[in-house]
Amino acid sequence: MKTKIIVPLVTAAAAALFTGCATDAHYVQTGDREQIVSLGQINIQDYANAANAAVKDLLASGALDRVANPPALVEVSKVINNTSQLVDQDLLTQKIGIALTQSGKAQIKLVDKLGKGYQQENEFLSDQKATRLPDFTLSGKIIETVDRAGNTRRTTYSFQMALNDPKAGVQVWMSEKEIGKQGTRSSVGF
Amino acid sequence: MKTKYLLPVVCAAAALFAAGCGTTVNSVENAQKDGRRTMVSDQRVISDTGLNHRVGVVGVNTAMTAGGLLRVQVELLNETRSLHRFSYKFEWFDVNGMQVENILSASSTDQIEGRESKMITSIAPNPGCKDFRLKLISAD
Repeated sequence: MKTKIIVPLVTAAAAALFTGCATDAHYVQTGDREQIVSLGQINIQDYANAANAAVKDLLASGALDRVANPPALVEVSKVINNTSQLVDQDLLTQKIGIALTQSGKAQIKLVDKLGKGYQQENEFLSDQKATRLPDFTLSGKIIETVDRAGNTRRTTYSFQMALNDPKAGVQVWMSEKEIGKQGTRSSVGF
Repeated sequence: MKTKYLLPVVCAAAALFAAGCGTTVNSVENAQKDGRRTMVSDQRVISDTGLNHRVGVVGVNTAMTAGGLLRVQVELLNETRSLHRFSYKFEWFDVNGMQVENILSASSTDQIEGRESKMITSIAPNPGCKDFRLKLISAD
């Protein structure tokens, strides 16, 4: 009698368990509650947080407002990768560039080869040098530090950004955003 | 006999609980302030009362940058005795009430210690954005 009741119950519980554990593929938003906190690598949320902090700090500093002919012309320079992983710097610099151009405070210097070709052709035909030198260059560095205590690992990524004035040879703005992740394994959630 | 074992266990558990949850923040600041905050009146929608207790909004103040961008600072207070993790995002709206989305509206995660008061800030994506909304969600 007992077995007659227990077997279907166990079967139903097992079915419920399997259904609950399986996650069907679905679209997610960057920064949502389901984001994966990857312990040993920089993920898209980390780039977003670093770019957010840099843009917020740069716009608040007013450094871009101190140019003779606003909006400031910014050329994106190199972001040095001092981490153990491959980093595409556009994941960081493009986000910053987009926000700066949308703010109306800066324009980003052309890097597109086709566009540059047309610009040179135009300069040749009009016999006028229209190329404007950048007011600033944007550079940065990403540094990874790892601490371990038993099975627990803490990885900290330091995103250092700087706005350089090439005419004066000085850095007019600098910022650093540290993103730390700690645990024994990667997880889903904040 | 049972009580003999149960009582010390309960006491030990209570002591552990109190020790673990009792990490709160002490602070000190100058009493005569030189800075003056421009507080703004705010409208609140509280759907998670527990979160409001752990990450409550004390006040909102704003300032303009030299370049004409609106800066917002929100003071949060954790009224409990334990650390709490939360996620937040600022949404920005132009003069027509249309939302302007860019990296400044990205979600950020943060944490607040027990009884800690903490500021979170944002800046308008462009000079045309004058209205904002802060969204807070629990991450624990």
